Amino acid sequence: MRILLVEDEAPLRETLAARLKREGFAVDTASDGEEALFHGKEIPFDIAVVDLGLPKLSGMDVVKGLRDAGQKFPILILTARSRWQDKVEGLKHGADDYLVKPFHVEELLARINALLRRAAGWSKPSLECGPVKLDLAAQKVTINDGPTDLTSYEYKVLEYLMLHAGELVSKADLTEHIYQQDFDRDSNVLEVFVGRLRKKLDPDGSLKPIETVRGRGYRFAIPRNE
Amino acid sequence: MSATRRALSLHARQLISASLGLIAFLGLTGVALDKAFQNSLINNMQERMARYASVYWNEIELDSEGRIIKEQMDSSPDARFENFRSGLYAQIEGRGTSWQSGSVALFSLPALTPGEAGRPAQFTGPVTLRTGEDTTIKAYQYTATSEFSSSAGPVPLKLRIYEDEQEILGQIVEFRKSLWIYLVVAGLLLVLVQIVILRWSLQPLRVLEHDMQSLQTGKLQRLSNAYPLELKPISGSINALIDSERSNLEQSRNTLADLAHSLKTPLAVLQAHIENDVDNGTFRDDVAQQLMRMNDIVSYQLSRAARSGHALYSAPVDVLPHAESIVLSLEKIYKAKGIYCEFEIDAKSQFSGEPGDLQELLGNFLENAFKWADRRVLLTARPVYEPAAKRPGLYISIEDDGKGIAAEDIGKILQRGVRGDERVQGHGIGMAIVQDIINSYHGELAVDVSPELGGARFTITLPCLT
Repeated sequence: MRILLVEDEAPLRETLAARLKREGFAVDTASDGEEALFHGKEIPFDIAVVDLGLPKLSGMDVVKGLRDAGQKFPILILTARSRWQDKVEGLKHGADDYLVKPFHVEELLARINALLRRAAGWSKPSLECGPVKLDLAAQKVTINDGPTDLTSYEYKVLEYLMLHAGELVSKADLTEHIYQQDFDRDSNVLEVFVGRLRKKLDPDGSLKPIETVRGRGYRFAIPRNE
Repeated sequence: MSATRRALSLHARQLISASLGLIAFLGLTGVALDKAFQNSLINNMQERMARYASVYWNEIELDSEGRIIKEQMDSSPDARFENFRSGLYAQIEGRGTSWQSGSVALFSLPALTPGEAGRPAQFTGPVTLRTGEDTTIKAYQYTATSEFSSSAGPVPLKLRIYEDEQEILGQIVEFRKSLWIYLVVAGLLLVLVQIVILRWSLQPLRVLEHDMQSLQTGKLQRLSNAYPLELKPISGSINALIDSERSNLEQSRNTLADLAHSLKTPLAVLQAHIENDVDNGTFRDDVAQQLMRMNDIVSYQLSRAARSGHALYSAPVDVLPHAESIVLSLEKIYKAKGIYCEFEIDAKSQFSGEPGDLQELLGNFLENAFKWADRRVLLTARPVYEPAAKRPGLYISIEDDGKGIAAEDIGKILQRGVRGDERVQGHGIGMAIVQDIINSYHGELAVDVSPELGGARFTITLPCLT
């Protein structure tokens, strides 16, 4: 999952970015409104977390600018002011949720996961396709209620594919949304991850959860349960 | 001239307008009286002349040739007819005969054109009458004709009496002199009375001004109720303003004190932990918990400090648009729950207060409802009318179809006078904020079971403004 984190307070931005990376997000940060709008228009993010009080361009204007540019990814606003007026205003201008400062990082992570799920058309907190169940909050995958042990990169690939279950996901897309900017994109690491995932999810080859669309990408083939 | 020229004082306005009215009234009165006096003088003169004429007619005796026997004309109706140039003259003329009163001397009256008998007497004037080589007078003239009979046959005679206008002009001058003296004295007296009346009737305003100065210097706490009817609304409003100003001041003082005191407890907890040097895990949890608590305290007291409660002077706020925007936001946040919020809002529902306070009320109660509801939320709002109230009150209820609130918890939720940091866990700072808002508008909050949806029902009633 690629996330845009916009926050002008350096200590908070760095702490949050580090935590988000630990949680498996590809994190891009911006420290002012103009930078945020520039990144937001260029890169296909999965979600953005935007502080309202920003230098150069206010968070509210960033949200408006992103929506005007046609960006549809969910946006969560952070605000130090808890007045209802500010909340209503932010949501009206295109944000999808708000969080009042200060907050528990766990709360922020839960909100981000919920927004990602909702944006992909999932309403329950866990993604279920046939026997495969992926718990977004716990980052755990089970098959027929039996635990499956995945590495963090394997989990990230599966999470992205399952969020978009039924849709075609190109390799470029997958790389873009999973890796940090500095990752070597020409390697065939992705194919290795997908190969390992197939073995772990479907040891006896009966399930065929991930389909390769030659020359175009992958698709999670088991239909959604909901 | 600058645009902000100082307005004339009420006193000056009243005095100027009353004085102008007085001058116009007295002036017109004087002119009317003067005119009436002149008319009555002239009427008197005409009657007098008619009387003189009848005396002369009676005196006239004719000789056999039809001439006036002058010796017979010896008793005059007025002594002035005999006095030299007295200003009162009489002449009688007929065919071949004439007579003039003794006052006509050294000059002669113009000859009379013979007039036919039986014509009614004529009174005209003033006309110019030559009384010497180069002296003339202005005089009124009375002309009458009559027919006498003599042995020579009927003799038509014409009689004319002149009276100098100086006679009445003198009286008019005398009259005017005393008339205007009286009028001016009356006018001055009236102006004096006017000034006294003005001072008396504007006295309450002066008292108000003085009281306001006393208020500013602190000699007075609030305005008394001893003002006349017209000033009652003003003094009442000023008192309301003073009260709310004072309570604001008190509130912000209390807020600061509360803030300082309530932050001390979590700080003490943290300090105790540092000194006890407990293991790392608990310490972290405790710090996090105390931080959250301090944050709650700060946001609660901040919202208290921002509150105004100036209900009487704020423009009424329509409930519907605010409810709509808040519900739209909440529907966005709680999209996954698929909650359906119904409105039953009377279009005339208005909140007399700060729009921000209404948003806090609706936002906090609705968010609670969305949080606890299973599928449905019902928002009801309608105005509350009362006779003689200046503005209607407001009834709001928020219902949901969730689990509801247990009877024993309702009391805890409604606890009054409990600071935000001491409240029941789980109902958050929001409940404390809305209760504070409702209190500042002298409203009431009730919690019970929704008869329609089965979950909790929060009912807010804000009173009418009187």
